[in-house]
Amino acid sequence: MESFCRKYLSLGSPKEGIPEDSEDALASMGFCQFLASLVLSISCHVLSSTAWSVNNFLMTGPKAYLIYSSSVQAGAQRGTEECKYQFAWDRWNCPESEFQLSKHKGLRRATKETAFIHAISAAGVMYTLTKNCSMGDFDNCGCDDSKTGKIGGRGWIWGGCSDNADFGENISKQFVDTMENGHDSRAAVNRHNNEAGRLAIRAMMKRSCKCHGVSGSCSVQTCWMQLSDFRDVGNYLKIKYDQAQKLELDQRRMRAGNSAENRGAIADTFSSIARTELIHLEDSPNYCVKNLSLGLHGTEGRECLQTGNNLSQFEKRSCRRLCHECGLKVEEKRIEIVSSCNCKFHWCCTVKCEKCTQFVTKYICSKRNKNIRPHNSTRRRQRVRS
Amino acid sequence: MAGAIIENMSTKKLVIVGVVLLLFQAFAFMVGGLIAPSPTTAVHYLATKCVDNQKGHQEGRKWFMPWGPNQCDKIRDFDEAMAKRIEANNIVFSVHIPLPNKEMSPWFQFMLVILQFDIAFKMYNQIEDKAFVTIDVSLAYRDDSVSEWTEMAHSVEQRKLSCNFTTAKIKENEGRYYECDLLPFMEVGTVSHKYYLVNVRLPVYERKKVNVGIGEIKDIRLVGIHQNGGFTKVWFAMKTFLTPSILIIMIWYWRRITMMTRPPVLLEKVIFALGISMTFINIPVEWFSIGFDWTWMLLFGDIRQGIFYAMLLSFWIIFCGEHLMDQTERNRFSMYWKQVGPIVFGSFCLFIFDMCERGVQLTNPFYSIWASDVGTELAMAFIIVAGICACLYFLFLCFMVFQVFRNISGKRSCLPAMTKARRLHYEGLIFRFKFLMLVTLACAAMTVIFFIISQVNEGHWHWGDYTVQINSAFFTGIYGMWNLYVFALMFLYAPSHKRYGDEQASGDQGGTSGEDIQLTTTITHADGPTEVYRMMGKDSQE
Repeated sequence: MESFCRKYLSLGSPKEGIPEDSEDALASMGFCQFLASLVLSISCHVLSSTAWSVNNFLMTGPKAYLIYSSSVQAGAQRGTEECKYQFAWDRWNCPESEFQLSKHKGLRRATKETAFIHAISAAGVMYTLTKNCSMGDFDNCGCDDSKTGKIGGRGWIWGGCSDNADFGENISKQFVDTMENGHDSRAAVNRHNNEAGRLAIRAMMKRSCKCHGVSGSCSVQTCWMQLSDFRDVGNYLKIKYDQAQKLELDQRRMRAGNSAENRGAIADTFSSIARTELIHLEDSPNYCVKNLSLGLHGTEGRECLQTGNNLSQFEKRSCRRLCHECGLKVEEKRIEIVSSCNCKFHWCCTVKCEKCTQFVTKYICSKRNKNIRPHNSTRRRQRVRS
Repeated sequence: MAGAIIENMSTKKLVIVGVVLLLFQAFAFMVGGLIAPSPTTAVHYLATKCVDNQKGHQEGRKWFMPWGPNQCDKIRDFDEAMAKRIEANNIVFSVHIPLPNKEMSPWFQFMLVILQFDIAFKMYNQIEDKAFVTIDVSLAYRDDSVSEWTEMAHSVEQRKLSCNFTTAKIKENEGRYYECDLLPFMEVGTVSHKYYLVNVRLPVYERKKVNVGIGEIKDIRLVGIHQNGGFTKVWFAMKTFLTPSILIIMIWYWRRITMMTRPPVLLEKVIFALGISMTFINIPVEWFSIGFDWTWMLLFGDIRQGIFYAMLLSFWIIFCGEHLMDQTERNRFSMYWKQVGPIVFGSFCLFIFDMCERGVQLTNPFYSIWASDVGTELAMAFIIVAGICACLYFLFLCFMVFQVFRNISGKRSCLPAMTKARRLHYEGLIFRFKFLMLVTLACAAMTVIFFIISQVNEGHWHWGDYTVQINSAFFTGIYGMWNLYVFALMFLYAPSHKRYGDEQASGDQGGTSGEDIQLTTTITHADGPTEVYRMMGKDSQE
């Protein structure tokens, strides 16, 4: 079952599934088949507890948007990778399990970290959709209905189409926000954070202009906005994460239990917060200690940075933050790494390298007692990942 | 140029004319702001990486489609290529213009494509100083979605990479992109086909140092810029409307001049020439670009604009010169060679520059004068020379305007002492000059202000339910304004058929004093003989 599910759900995995294929597949599928496949995939989703978050997106989003699945998946992946990079030296290091955004057992936290996850995922999806739109992956990219009714009406001859980023934003909204269709405060907070992620893309977009008047003068100039590096979006959201506000909902009105009243209270609170800010409802748990019921792995066995040039203040303090402040000590390990060196590159596809061995010192958090035996295995895995 | 209409017109009529012109001006702005869409659109394209599996090159070029039926073998990234042992020379970057489900249209007028590289930073594969990228580009077209592609152009071009890495060059930042300048890629003067296909290769020849040291290119992005169809339609409509208006007033103006017994003076000829150059811009020959594949239209448009600007600048100089009110004999074009020279020379430089860029693009759309070092220097030289000419011109102009004002204040003080005819003559001169000065300054200020607004702004304002397209309003408004300027000039500065009035004729008739005779000798050049006859009380004409 598991393998079958995987196969079916990989309808558009980033490498194999070129969207046109999936689209053709969709077209050739009859409606019944389509329905059946949906039921199947949903049951797959329920069955496989490790199903990845993207499948949540895909299964809860409007079904007509299956053509976007590969892009959405790749986008969520992009978000995950960026999250891992941004939190590499934090106590909470963005573990993959956190991306299980499903509402299992109705228990979802609304901490600063989940706020970041929501924002970066929504941003990643929007980013990838926008990029793939420019690649010609989608038939209806750009020209949406927003211009219908105006002079010139539909089509792009009269006044061009809307921006690719608008397209990415819309589809991302439809995919990601439909997961949060509840009326409770948590859903509202998550939707807000998704929006903040998408706005981060907008905020980081760069404006470029080209002059093309008489003799190339600037009497005629065309400007456009283009996506910046996704790393910039990650950095921006990390700052927003540091400034995240805790939402104090009006408890009295909430307790009244009236859902209309409730919604009013949520709306009131949200109107006072800028759309670009991240918000959360709960304080973060202690990420130092292992707590499997919350899915926390603790900082034991994590690597930290101590010496090295070009380290930022934040990175230099990582050992204190990860180890000392969590009641752990820093263990020094000298290990041998084989890496490629003296490489000759071309812009693509050809690399001629030599193998070099070098010794590097790594710092790893470990328990204060002398017994360090049980953590060897985790340490090695960490090293490989880093 | 005696007794122009503007002097003999009553204030009431003048106000009416002014209001009507202002209404037309407001209309021109509104047409652009409310009806037309933004002037141009930029469309983003991200190149698809295709794999050329062909071993030996067979006859004819193979075209690689990024999507749709017959699409090429794609790879998503170069790690995949590395795994499959694909070489750089076998990778083709493919871009289909436009995006799926769309068609290009002749209404787009031109297509300008910008090239951008996404180059990732790698510690051991950095971009070298003064790195050049060599691109093997080809462009093809077709008019329906099934037929074969027809090659339009093929070229091997070089582009200079000017990239900088904004963050620290350390291992942690590997994978971040360099910030690279926009590179010119292609310019096509007409968009007469529906579909275009661009195939780009980055061949590597290590021995010849071709495409070595250009960093790790991750993606190629293109930005296609074209004029919006709606804007083109509004623009054409405007031109079609303006052509007959200017043409009619031009004919009327020339008829008035030829009706006079004296030959036309220089200023009248210059105004007429201004009208001709305005008409030359106005004539909507662009209509032909809808049906014909005339790639030179862009260049032609530049030339037409250049002629008009040169004419307008010359007109200002000559107008000032003819109102100098000193005792020098002018009325000849050769008198102005010093001031008009820089204009002609500067325009000529810009013309040569334009021919080097857009002229060569007629045969090779990928050509850019900025791509090579020599070309850049040459282009800069032309532009700097043209800039110096412009500075020279404005110095001359400012000096002349200063001189006129100095003479005006000099004449002002002795006006009451003059005879009536002489006084009226000078008052007319002063009024004509001041009026044009005021209108010209207003027009120039409007142009500059709107230019700045359109540059600073995002391009449109939301005004309730309406979206006002500032850029389009700028183009139609300013274009309309200079048309109205030329129109008003020809109308108001046409020679009047009215006399100075009976009292003048009766009052001064008897007193043919020495002063008046002296006057005739000094002002003939400026006013033409008619004035003299009239002042002498001889109604020899009309």
